[in-house]
Amino acid sequence: MRRILLIAKRDYLATIRTKAFLVGLVVAPVLFGGGFLGIALLKSKPDIKDRHVAIVDRTGVAASAVIQAAQESNAKDLFDKVTHRQIAARYVFESLPPDADANAQRLALSDRVRSGQLFAFLEIGADDLHPRHPPHGSNDATAGKVACYTNAGAFDDARGWLEGPVNDGLRRVRLAQLGVGASHFDDVLAEVPVERLSLVSKDVKTGQIREAHKKGELDDFAIPFGLMLLLGMIVLVSSAPMLSAVTEDKAQRIVEMLLGLATPFELMMGKVLAAVCVSLTSSAFYVIGCALVLQALGMAGMLPFALLPWFYIYLIADVTMLCAFAAALGAGCSSPQDAQQLAILLMAPVMVPYFVFAVVMQQPNGAIATTLSLFPMFTPMLMLLRMALPGGVPVWQPWVSLAAVLAWTFGMVWAAARIFRVAILMQGKPPKLADLVRWAVRG
Amino acid sequence: MHAVEIRNVTKTFGAVTAVDDLSLAVPQGSVYGFIGPNGSGKTTTMRMITSIFYPDRGTIHVFGKQMSGARSELIGYLPEERGLYRKMAVRPLLEFYGELRGGRKVTAEVDGWIQRLNLSKWASQKVQTLSKGMSQKVQFIAAVVPEPKLVILDEPFSGLDPVSADAIRSAVLDLRRRGVTVILSTHDMRVAESMCDYIFMIFRGKKVLDGTLTSIQDRYGIDTIQVAAEGGLQFLEGLPGVDRVRDLGQMQELRMTAACDPQEVLRVLISRTRVTSFSIMKPSLHDIFVRIAGPEAEETQVA
Repeated sequence: MRRILLIAKRDYLATIRTKAFLVGLVVAPVLFGGGFLGIALLKSKPDIKDRHVAIVDRTGVAASAVIQAAQESNAKDLFDKVTHRQIAARYVFESLPPDADANAQRLALSDRVRSGQLFAFLEIGADDLHPRHPPHGSNDATAGKVACYTNAGAFDDARGWLEGPVNDGLRRVRLAQLGVGASHFDDVLAEVPVERLSLVSKDVKTGQIREAHKKGELDDFAIPFGLMLLLGMIVLVSSAPMLSAVTEDKAQRIVEMLLGLATPFELMMGKVLAAVCVSLTSSAFYVIGCALVLQALGMAGMLPFALLPWFYIYLIADVTMLCAFAAALGAGCSSPQDAQQLAILLMAPVMVPYFVFAVVMQQPNGAIATTLSLFPMFTPMLMLLRMALPGGVPVWQPWVSLAAVLAWTFGMVWAAARIFRVAILMQGKPPKLADLVRWAVRG
Repeated sequence: MHAVEIRNVTKTFGAVTAVDDLSLAVPQGSVYGFIGPNGSGKTTTMRMITSIFYPDRGTIHVFGKQMSGARSELIGYLPEERGLYRKMAVRPLLEFYGELRGGRKVTAEVDGWIQRLNLSKWASQKVQTLSKGMSQKVQFIAAVVPEPKLVILDEPFSGLDPVSADAIRSAVLDLRRRGVTVILSTHDMRVAESMCDYIFMIFRGKKVLDGTLTSIQDRYGIDTIQVAAEGGLQFLEGLPGVDRVRDLGQMQELRMTAACDPQEVLRVLISRTRVTSFSIMKPSLHDIFVRIAGPEAEETQVA
């Protein structure tokens, strides 16, 4: 143990004294949160160029109602209510009579879209006014659907925006046909938003019922995702250098000198312990930083203090298992280039949770989310995410998954130590997966 | 009790047998020289003594205790493949290595060795600023602080200039005087002859020589003539009773057959050229090494 602590102390001090560590503390959140920061920045700089849309109305009565509804939507959504700054593109409509040759008209309008004169064109079919009871009985696949022809990107919100005025316009025509006066349209068509609220709870000390509070994105998304992002980021930043560090020690012939003084297990565990300490240092920096920022913003109550012990347990377990694995892989490599080829294996336990987080957030207690979060490699990030989401998880799951994570971590360290001992003084081509398994089994 | 006792040790790597049924006993307080061609098993044997490698078969005892894998503060090891943390300063690095083995602060011992090997000026410098010779001195200190009972030095003199080599040699002999057992490997036969109490040669994993220099030479008898003659090699062909000639440049070594009469060789040689030196001797360690492990091409076969 003494040797493990000494090696850990040296490696820890050598790491945190480097400029790279200090720079990484600042750069890592920017890199990991960069995508979301980018989205936020793009949202603050929306495209506000007018979007010209042509409407070909085969009902003969809907176009003007749709255009009117669109103009009302424009007036409602175009400007920020506080800053009065334009925050959305204005949709400008032109109504075109349908040609006898529908395909020729579609081609001509498509060419106008291609040339940039139009953003899109809508074609309201003859049956679209009463899709449940089509008077024309068309067998066309687009019957009962308003066609929107455009070359805008898949994630452009134009289709979603247009759906509102189109349906609003069609409903107004239907109401008029039923004899409802135009003065009643607003009342009939008024939308009532559904607001999400937290559950009502009782104050344990005073016995008073606490009122539910309005739930925003910060509650439901930012805090759970932020916790998972933070955990993954610290784990990756703390464990990824292990692979190259061990390879570098091996390439610079430092390893044999150390192996004369400490066993391979002591050497590996010293390095792993140093990485755990580095991760705790980084996490303290971020957790304290986040707490101070939220306090300054008057949102200290948002901090999920109850989850912090789980965060740290999972952090230590995840860093330990990944660093042990990285040390074993690094021991098998003779050069940093070899190590780079194997780095993807290390990133998987962190990257897979990032890829599936949306699925988990949609159905935190669904079969996929539950199964993945009980798989020890993904438990730290996914179980933490599920625990942070509203509603939480069944009480047994964190404890069972913790037992599995600890058992898995112990197994990883044991296998890694055996691989490390065999591979650390080997030279030549990097090991295959079968070699690693054989060394782990046979020692 | 021997410092090191190796009994019937075998170590294989895949299909290659690096050490084959080796037995060896290293007396305490001696300097034991390991010689042998590259890849013959010297380093593997040293790594097994330090527990870096485990033998497949056989046992190794160090000061009577069987090596089980744990590192012993009794052993100091200087590996052949030198490497130090390049970004650490010399003194903290040596204190780290010393504390790692000894389990206690070794500041005073480190300072003593730094002064002794003239590294005081560099004690606060980073390792990456040191020359190769100075780096090797630092590594030597790392192997002997705190003072172990057994020091294993794999090629301690390779790449050193004569001044640095003398400093290390003097330090090694000083360790022996203080009762420390020293095992060193070398390719320099003069080092083995001059420094080692015992010499062990390993060839293709097997022990081929083991004993004092005298006992080893006695096995071969007085069968060598060292000669320096004007014209050199060209006058040495066809000498009676001489079966091999080894050209050393300014002089040549002749190996005599059992029936060879050195006086007759000298008489014939004088009749051919002017002889400036003629010595009858036991074979040198170098010659013995080459006889065992050297390719036939190195020697000039004579009729």
